[in-house]
Amino acid sequence: MAGPGATKRGDMPDLLTAALFIGFGVLGLWLSRPLDQGTLAQMGPGFLPRVVCGGLIVLGAVIGFSALHRQGEPLEAMKLRPLAVIVLSIVGFAYLAEHAGFVVASLWLIIAGSLADPGGRWRTTLLLAGGLTLFGALVFIYGLGVQMTIWPF
Amino acid sequence: MEIFDLLLLGFSEAMSPANLGFCLIGALLGTLIGVLPGIGPTATIAVLLPITFFLPPLAGIIMLAGIYYGAQYGGSTTAILVNLPGEASAVVTTLDGYQMARQGRAGSALAVAALGSFFAGTVATFGIAIAGPMLAGFALNFGPAEYVSLMIFGLLAATILASGPVLKAIGMILIGLLFGMVGTDQATGAERLTFGSLELFDGIEFTVIAIGLFGFSEIIANLERSGSAGVTVARLTRLWPTREDFRRAWPAVLRGTGIGTFLGILPGGGATLASFSAYSLEKKVSRTPEKFGTGVVQGVASPEAANNAAAQSSFIPLLTLGIPSNNMMAMMLSAFMIHGITPGPSVLTSQPEIFWGLVASMWIGNALLVIINMPLIGLWVKLLTVPYRLLYPAILLFCCVGVYSMNNRIFDVLLAAGFGLLGYAFRKAKCEPGPLLLGFVLGPLLESNLRRTMLITQGDASIFVERPISLVMLIATVILLALMILPSFRKKREEAFQEEEA
Repeated sequence: MAGPGATKRGDMPDLLTAALFIGFGVLGLWLSRPLDQGTLAQMGPGFLPRVVCGGLIVLGAVIGFSALHRQGEPLEAMKLRPLAVIVLSIVGFAYLAEHAGFVVASLWLIIAGSLADPGGRWRTTLLLAGGLTLFGALVFIYGLGVQMTIWPF
Repeated sequence: MEIFDLLLLGFSEAMSPANLGFCLIGALLGTLIGVLPGIGPTATIAVLLPITFFLPPLAGIIMLAGIYYGAQYGGSTTAILVNLPGEASAVVTTLDGYQMARQGRAGSALAVAALGSFFAGTVATFGIAIAGPMLAGFALNFGPAEYVSLMIFGLLAATILASGPVLKAIGMILIGLLFGMVGTDQATGAERLTFGSLELFDGIEFTVIAIGLFGFSEIIANLERSGSAGVTVARLTRLWPTREDFRRAWPAVLRGTGIGTFLGILPGGGATLASFSAYSLEKKVSRTPEKFGTGVVQGVASPEAANNAAAQSSFIPLLTLGIPSNNMMAMMLSAFMIHGITPGPSVLTSQPEIFWGLVASMWIGNALLVIINMPLIGLWVKLLTVPYRLLYPAILLFCCVGVYSMNNRIFDVLLAAGFGLLGYAFRKAKCEPGPLLLGFVLGPLLESNLRRTMLITQGDASIFVERPISLVMLIATVILLALMILPSFRKKREEAFQEEEA
């Protein structure tokens, strides 16, 4: 793998597309190994998945091959902070919602999630977290009847 | 006149206090997210889908529809006043709308946009009322073979009319089809592509994919971009167009309405395509095309009418054939499904109150939007000063709770986070996630109809060319594919979308 900026050839977004398409195609084919193919008149559960995965692999190959022969275009710069913070805060929410109830989970989600943007101030973040948690508990859990415990105990 | 009786039934449904209330909420929410850049109608509807589960079917659908066409109104407000398109479909409105505002004609531009949209919305509503039952009657003759051909045509046409490279769009549809197959096979009961995980036996929930791909990954992408420029709001003066503006605007509104209504029906069409096409048409028919971009009233009137007309007419294929034509309609389809209603020709006869109630609510919603937008415009502009830093935590919370509430499962929240990551990868690969949703929604329909057809004919595929309607669809598909290979057409298409990106 060449680092960003070092690429002379190859359209990087298209190569990534090819990798995604071929990856899903191969994964799908591998997962549908045990499935019955069936006949055209009596299609088994494995028929369409195989057709679709085959199509994905072919498409990925075509896109990837032509991308190799084009002028280089680098990937857009990646910023790790928003990506990591948002995903982690959602995963944390999922874990906390099950074990500690809505209030703790929601406070975590908003306070942790706010760290994705470096410009925030603590006071506004805490106020926002408190307000949204109260709103969420009233509207979603009391109002709409979403089944989630509110307190950790 | 039967149609008037049915329209009357629709109005009596839509005028009930609850439905009227949800129509207003939808229109308000739509305007709100239309004004706020960084939140689109797709993400909003994905977030609100689970909530509609708690509402009666008609009320939920009325609200979601209101968000979609309301966003078209709201998007134009910011496009004109601050040169910031709140929605993709309002990008062309910035060209002349903002120039008008700088010349002190902001009020005139806003009024033309709102009145033009209202006119277009009214025409499109009647279009649905007239074309709907006709198309549905026609569709009652469809057998499984016709549906297979129609879906293949719809999916391929959607990739060609949508922006971005066609091969990538086709690939995204295939990935969508693949996701649609996860879970227990309808016909044989076999368990497919589940990694042996019990949670995936029932398949992947639509909201999980929609919130992951559109909600979560949009937040991440917006935060990555951040550093929004300072907002300068143009001053508002009189809120009524001059007689001169009026005289110039109304033919443009008529043309925009026509082109928008037509493009909305086509697969892959929708508000964005319609507004761009309307603007280029206006430029072509004008005697002074060089003036466009300097504050010409036609340049606001026509695309604004077109995007609103298209937003509404794109409901036609969904309501009459049960086939969504773009990702917004895929959302609407799943909103129907949540309530156990499968949109299609039979809904018109078995549950006329749903179809006619929705049609009537669209007209009421458009009238409400004019009221919401004209006097309250100052309020909406104030909202622009709310920083994204305060908005996204709220969106994040709504997304998480929404996904969880579908099945009360933590697993779904984690899966949606995974789809958020995938959506991020797709963005980096410059792949539009819209076609994936279409493939996901249509996948199970396509498979069951294909199986049925093949079962009837004992594996003989010639039925697709023997049935006339099916043959026509397949020929249309082949022509579209052939056009894509022709270099001259390809160049034209690329040019058209380049203009869009600029």
